[in-house]
Amino acid sequence: MTPQGHPAPGPPDSQTILRWKEVRTGVRATRVLNSGGSGGAWDAGAEAEAMAALGAAARALALQGRSGGLRACLPRPCWPHAPGRESHLWATALLSLRAALPVRGEPLRKKKKVDPRKEQAAKDRLKKKIKKLEKVSQELIPIEDFITPVKYLQEERQRPEPEVPFEVSERRTLLMKKWTLYKQQEAEAEQKKIRSMLEAQQEALRELRQESELLYQAAIRRDDSLFPFEKEGPTYTPATPGYQAPEGKYNDVTKVYVQVVHKR
Amino acid sequence: MAAPMRKMLHGTARSLECPWRLRTLCAAATAAPAAAATPGKSAASPNGGSPWRLLGALCLQRPPVISQPLSPLQVEMAELLEQIEVEKSRYSDHEIRALEEAQRLERKKADIYDSDDDDEKDILLVQDLEDTWEQKFLQFKPEPRVTEADKKNDQTSLHRKLDQNLVLLVKEKLGDQETWMLPYAEWQVGETLRGTAERALATLSQNSVEAKFLGNAPCGYYKFKFPQAFRTENSIGAKVFFFKALLQSGNLSQARKKNDHAWVSKEELGDYLKPKYLAQKTVAVFQFA
Repeated sequence: MTPQGHPAPGPPDSQTILRWKEVRTGVRATRVLNSGGSGGAWDAGAEAEAMAALGAAARALALQGRSGGLRACLPRPCWPHAPGRESHLWATALLSLRAALPVRGEPLRKKKKVDPRKEQAAKDRLKKKIKKLEKVSQELIPIEDFITPVKYLQEERQRPEPEVPFEVSERRTLLMKKWTLYKQQEAEAEQKKIRSMLEAQQEALRELRQESELLYQAAIRRDDSLFPFEKEGPTYTPATPGYQAPEGKYNDVTKVYVQVVHKR
Repeated sequence: MAAPMRKMLHGTARSLECPWRLRTLCAAATAAPAAAATPGKSAASPNGGSPWRLLGALCLQRPPVISQPLSPLQVEMAELLEQIEVEKSRYSDHEIRALEEAQRLERKKADIYDSDDDDEKDILLVQDLEDTWEQKFLQFKPEPRVTEADKKNDQTSLHRKLDQNLVLLVKEKLGDQETWMLPYAEWQVGETLRGTAERALATLSQNSVEAKFLGNAPCGYYKFKFPQAFRTENSIGAKVFFFKALLQSGNLSQARKKNDHAWVSKEELGDYLKPKYLAQKTVAVFQFA
């Protein structure tokens, strides 16, 4: 393998191998961070490197084999830490190393600890996106009364336009104005009533406090047995005692909606 | 509120403006006029030294059973809204059937397509259906809104004035005369004021009445001072705290005598209670619709 700038004589020894990996990863990391996808080829390479374990120099070999153009994108390994390449000791060490290590085959692919975490992080991100999409499409239970059935929207169902004479429309408008005034007065009266009842209660509590603190504390305590409070409202006519409703069968066709949770 | 207090202060022993006089106090006064000794339990002034005695009173209400009649303006508006709703609506199935049948009848009268169309639809006309429905409706006889008790004006009956709130009043003998008032009981040591009101209800009805108390807090109060003759150094007056309760079931007719209690509506309160008592601002507890 001859990435540019690498000196010709043989692969580096074990120490330089490690250093090179580190440097390579360091540079690679910075490149990935800085350029968030500069080119298609680069991205493929970065993705491959990120998803799988970062390999050794042999990984670069594989990449080189795949796309010739990648070579230009490969980082130029700088050797700030390489010991004096010009020193002869390094060369001799290499020569001995050549014999020691089996250098024919690919170096073992070590799975680094960082990579499974990155894998997991990416998977979580994808899952989150899926969850978000699922959440958005949450359906609400349709209210049957608000949906006009299609058969009532047909033409033949429309009533003829009512011709409202001018006097009638005038009378209607005036009546509606009177009605708004009446409702406003009714609302104000109700509010006044409620306010006066509350005031009376507050005064009573104040007087009670003057009398005895203990009784006051008992009075302002919340009454848990009060709620839930159920009461039947008034009807138009009073109930007939001993009334029997007419018997008959009926089919209950109300639709019941059940929430279905999709689990992945 | 202070002004009427002062008036009572200067009132005589026979001042009838104050409807609340303690039975126990008056009994003691009549029995031993010289010694204004109050019963033992209140001699030590359990209210922590305050000169006011505490009474818990009960404002038992029967909520309305039927809705109130509509005012003329409301009736007009209701009719108008119905008209507008009909104008903006679409034809229903029943109406379409009626229209088609009307058309068919016209065609029959014009003597065209006589026998062909007869086999298509049923013989039952829309008009017949409507008639049967009308008959069925007339067969149902609802209860009248104005009951017999209304006509007889029976004050002790619960079926009177079904569209209004009714409050329970009892006639108590105070001193030398009888007055109408809300049922009350004197507070005893060791119970809350709401407990006092509940006890008042229990003693009054002998547990035949069920009521739902609306909370622990009083809804109003009434303070009054005793006439000069009944005052001691421990008690110069009393404070009555009203508690509101809604009647759920039961009747007082078994427990009390005929003329001792009454269920009165808001307008009739004035006939029963003393005017000064009624005019109290704290009797805003009677501000029910």
